[in-house]
Amino acid sequence: MKNLLKGVALAALMMAPGAAMADVESDEPIIIVQNNWTSQLVLSYVVGKTLEGMGYTVEYAPSDSQLQFQAMADNDMDFQVEAWEGSMKSAFEKAAENGMLDAGTHSALTREEWWIPNYVLEKCPGAGHWQGLDRCAEMFATAETKPKGRFVGPPADWGKNYADRIGALEMNFEAINVGQAATLWAELQSAYDRKEPIVLFNWTPNFIESKFEGQFVDFPAPSAACNEVKEWGPNPNATGDCGAPHSGWLKKAASPRLPEEWPGAWAVLQRVDFDNADIAAAALLVDVDGMEPEEAAEAWMKENDHLVKSWVQ
Amino acid sequence: MPTDAQIKCRNLWKVFGDDPQGFLRRHKGNPSPEALKEEGYIGAVQDVSFDVNQGEILIIMGLSGSGKSTLIRCITRLNDPTIGEMEYEGRDLLKLSERELIDLRRHKFGMVFQNFGLLPHRDVLENVAFPLEVQGISKADRVTRAKAMIDLVGLGGRESYFPRELSGGQQQRVGIARSLAVEPDIWFLDEPFSALDPLIRAEMQDEFIRLQSMLHKTIVFITHDFEEATKLADRIGIMKDGRMVQLATPEELVLNPADDYVAEFAKNAPRERIVSVGAIMQPVTDAASGTVPMSAKIGAVAEQVLTSENPVAVVDESSGTIVGSIDRQTVATSIFGTRSSEGTRAA
Amino acid sequence: MTEATAPSRTEPQGFSLSAIPLWGQFAAIIIFGVLLSLVWDGATRWPEAWVIPAAQWITDFIEWLKSEATIFGVEFKDITRGIGAALKAPVKWAEYLLYRGFKGIGLGPLPWVAVAAGVVIFAHWVGGVRLAILCGLTMIYLATFNLWKDSMKTMTIVIVAVPMAALLGITLGIWVTRSKTASRIFSPMFDLMQATPHMAYLAPVAALFAFGPVTALIATVIFAMPPMARCTILGLQTVSSDVIEAGQMSGCTKRQLLWKVALPSSKRTLMLGLNQVVMQTLAMVVIASIAGATGLGHKLLYSLQQLRLGVAIEQGVAISLIAIVLDRLTQAYAYKETDHFVAGKTFVQRHKHLLLFLGILVASYIAAEFFRWVKIPPSKFIWGSGDAKTVLFDAKLLARHMDQAIRDFNVVAFDYINPIRDWVTIWILLPVRDFFLWLPWPVFVGVIGLGAWRLGGMPVLLLCLALMFSFIVTGFWVETMKTTYLVLIAAALCVIIGVPLGIWAARSERVANIIMPICDTLQTFPSFIYLIPAIMLFRIGDFANIFAILPYATVPAIRYTYLGLKRIPPVTIEAGIANGATRMQRLFKVELPVALPEIMLGLNQTIMMALAMTAITALIGSTDLGQEVVRSISTQDFGRGILAGFFIAALGIIADRLIGSWAAERKRQLGVA
Repeated sequence: MKNLLKGVALAALMMAPGAAMADVESDEPIIIVQNNWTSQLVLSYVVGKTLEGMGYTVEYAPSDSQLQFQAMADNDMDFQVEAWEGSMKSAFEKAAENGMLDAGTHSALTREEWWIPNYVLEKCPGAGHWQGLDRCAEMFATAETKPKGRFVGPPADWGKNYADRIGALEMNFEAINVGQAATLWAELQSAYDRKEPIVLFNWTPNFIESKFEGQFVDFPAPSAACNEVKEWGPNPNATGDCGAPHSGWLKKAASPRLPEEWPGAWAVLQRVDFDNADIAAAALLVDVDGMEPEEAAEAWMKENDHLVKSWVQ
Repeated sequence: MPTDAQIKCRNLWKVFGDDPQGFLRRHKGNPSPEALKEEGYIGAVQDVSFDVNQGEILIIMGLSGSGKSTLIRCITRLNDPTIGEMEYEGRDLLKLSERELIDLRRHKFGMVFQNFGLLPHRDVLENVAFPLEVQGISKADRVTRAKAMIDLVGLGGRESYFPRELSGGQQQRVGIARSLAVEPDIWFLDEPFSALDPLIRAEMQDEFIRLQSMLHKTIVFITHDFEEATKLADRIGIMKDGRMVQLATPEELVLNPADDYVAEFAKNAPRERIVSVGAIMQPVTDAASGTVPMSAKIGAVAEQVLTSENPVAVVDESSGTIVGSIDRQTVATSIFGTRSSEGTRAA
Repeated sequence: MTEATAPSRTEPQGFSLSAIPLWGQFAAIIIFGVLLSLVWDGATRWPEAWVIPAAQWITDFIEWLKSEATIFGVEFKDITRGIGAALKAPVKWAEYLLYRGFKGIGLGPLPWVAVAAGVVIFAHWVGGVRLAILCGLTMIYLATFNLWKDSMKTMTIVIVAVPMAALLGITLGIWVTRSKTASRIFSPMFDLMQATPHMAYLAPVAALFAFGPVTALIATVIFAMPPMARCTILGLQTVSSDVIEAGQMSGCTKRQLLWKVALPSSKRTLMLGLNQVVMQTLAMVVIASIAGATGLGHKLLYSLQQLRLGVAIEQGVAISLIAIVLDRLTQAYAYKETDHFVAGKTFVQRHKHLLLFLGILVASYIAAEFFRWVKIPPSKFIWGSGDAKTVLFDAKLLARHMDQAIRDFNVVAFDYINPIRDWVTIWILLPVRDFFLWLPWPVFVGVIGLGAWRLGGMPVLLLCLALMFSFIVTGFWVETMKTTYLVLIAAALCVIIGVPLGIWAARSERVANIIMPICDTLQTFPSFIYLIPAIMLFRIGDFANIFAILPYATVPAIRYTYLGLKRIPPVTIEAGIANGATRMQRLFKVELPVALPEIMLGLNQTIMMALAMTAITALIGSTDLGQEVVRSISTQDFGRGILAGFFIAALGIIADRLIGSWAAERKRQLGVA
């Protein structure tokens, strides 16, 4: 019965006209995950086009940033070029237990933290540090949060409870979580155009740094003790009174079938390595130069020909 | 004439409610109106028995809600009666299998509906050919047959029109053509002309008479219009609250209404066209001058009688003998008299 | 003639509260609930220990299905995978046809010129020149704005999902009309399915089936099917009994009766169903972009998230145009009269549209070998060559100008908009929200319950109680109240805006001719589109959410008011005039009271649509049930997502039963039922 079902499924797939044979292991399409932020889109096209240049057939499938890992474990999609520690760690690790492959770590380092545009420093020179920022809290207040300042936080499901940190550090802020990352940028853009003070959640590398000038706010450096020992940190009566790691990992992930069916492509993926500049450059092409992601990928590949060649070998 | 009966119905009941079978069983197949009301059942057809004779036009008449439509649907098995017996040419209608019933409808029954029941997605030709199509008759044969039927009802040339493009009268002609396409033995007409304007209605009634004079079908015809009934019927069955209160010739209904309800219908009937001379003649008298036939309707002889000084002799056409006489007074009273007496009674 | 005596509702007997006036009963419940909350915290928040972890159970169940369940020795996972793989085949074929091309045999996808011409020719065939022009302009828009390929990607799912949803709907519809059991199972399911927001379908489907186009396809089919089933049921049940009996008397077997009589006779209703299927499919395909569907929806979501509003507007317009075209085409097809003068025409005359299309198809395939622009629309329209080149039109440039204009506008308008936004937030939104969050649940349950009992009797009361307790005992009280508050405020605004517009339209033919087509068009847009202006003008927050709900949910308020007033018998109005009422008196004393039941049904629809939109506005940012639904897709917490979707539907059903019972009773009293 099980075989029968597989047979039916296979037959259904066979009915679809196949692509011409090329000089690679299999002409079945490799499905590349695409998410909804710029650098990922551009760089997934970069890797996809590289593989196409080698003769592989690729398809792009849009996916949610959390669901994608399980989908790869299930062989529904084949690889992801940007997996972020800060927001995807748990989904990544869970899927890895279910068979998804860790295809290596990029050189790029990531950080997720409170962030202010530079013009805020003109009105509140100490805002680069959490205590200085706290002193200007009222400057960030809105109708809903008065008299407290408003911190525009990430979507609540990203696993980061800023209300707790605010409490632990006894800051005069209130965290308002947005529904989608888009609204973060909507808020930033709106405030930025009017030079209105704003403090919000941000991460690097992403397109923001190529479009807006600003900096992260420094918090007490994190440590294991911070979350376990109350006495640790500025507030002797609370845990969690510290910031986020300054350098998180950025990984690649792949489906278990990738090495089996397309060993050549798997080898390429393992060799792919981006640093922060590569990623920011990719985002810049789209977000500042106004290219479509696919065009941007071509431009990026022209710029970084040596890199692409080194993956293909 | 029991041998002539094409359809026999005995003690038909159609009861609506939660458990009509059980209800009738509890009341031994004959519940009282009080019992019906008390237990919340509606007796659409109650204990109706009658025969439909070969070649006759039987008209079932009653107001809306009297059960006449339900009755015709019981006979055609569009609705199954709750209890009762029905025979068609000696076959038990209620014991027919699905297949036999479909066969019967395909070859023996034809039906015309009040709102025509035409299929909106088919043109005239396809509508008329439809009963032949479901039988599986070849396209060429059914087109020939359907065209003949369309010509018969006078719609030749409009074969490719759709129902929505036809007037009400024309639509009903299509309905009639369709019901006749299979050359049925029995023709059921459920208020066929009620949805039409009065002028068209009269025209269609004449058309119906013309067709019947050619076809000689056995006909069960439903109407709520007493005048229509008297114009077309051999016999009329009058229904009230699910019961058939009287089944008789139009003449008997007018002369001997079974109850006030029937009398109420009969009172406005065109007696001169219904009552025959034989029914109101007086004994033979020597003073008679001239003769009229016994079976003639009063209206047909009225002028002759009313203009005659003397009574007129009535002749039995079959034997040629004089069987009675009729005078002015009798004719006048039979046409107008009852009405004036009704009037006084009402006052 | 027998007078139809309407059954009068018997007042509930033997209940001691009946002696107390209605306001007294409500007051008693409110006072009791508030006092209870003072002595027992559990009346404000359902005690944590009593919460039924239904969400967890559902999540665990789905996890179990995915990993362990077997049916007759076959792993459930393999079954869903098999179905998924089988469904992939038609999607692939559609992809090859529309934009990928048949690589194996060296045949390209349909050239865009052929597709565009095909649509225009079809439009001319079903709807004449005007429709053909509309379609032609839409095709040109899609081509010039560089959205052709994405449009084709969207259409891939549409052309596969529509026949599937239609067939499934007709089949289920037929089944429901034939089997009492099926009717008992499916009728309430269709109610529920239509009240459940689009998004809620995505998470569980994505969980069971592979993530990607197949998930989008399945979710779309499930979502778009109920209207077809409903129209089939309606169509079959409203075939005139004469037609059915005529079929029976013609000697039809049961099968002949269905296929030759009943279904063809209800063609128009079925076509209406098909129209609904097409519209719902498009709406769902756009939304399914968050679960793996490519195409315009995906691009639009991405543009919104990147705040490239200029591009988003271009893409939004494209989706709306496609929606309008599909709507008009299916409607025109539904009302197309069969030509009965076919005899006497030549083959070419009868099939001129088809022949023309085939000609263009072949010609364009050949031309595509020589001119690339026949195959794929050019990305820039350039005149001349070399140094003399002039760019005639560049969609990307236009988008950037729009972006800049919107930003400039924002900077200027902020000083005007922000105070309004702040004022409304502080003085209206926050107090109302805080009120609902403070509200002890016994008060809410009691007030709704009493209303349900008075309006609809025991069945409605029991239904409402079951639905209300479902979100209380599972620990969703706070989210549900947030949704309630959002929806009530939005609905109130819709009524304030919509009813006067409806009255105005009913009074002036000229106004109606402007407003009604706008209403039609607003409802044709996939709901996604309404997020654009909300994000553009306002920052995150409930104000933006409500603003996004308004254009979509105001339409029924306008339309039902208009229809309610238009349907008043002229005699009633003439009587008012004869009695010497002024225009205003007539409106307030005669027309509005008579039309009120209809207007209330409009309110009912408004609430349903506002509820549906709360899941969409969650994409801007909210903390209510809608957010739970959206979030569950990425957190894979299916239980919470499914329950939250169900509770949105539950709120809709409660509102529907209360308002529906009231309107039915009121119509009965007015004798216009």
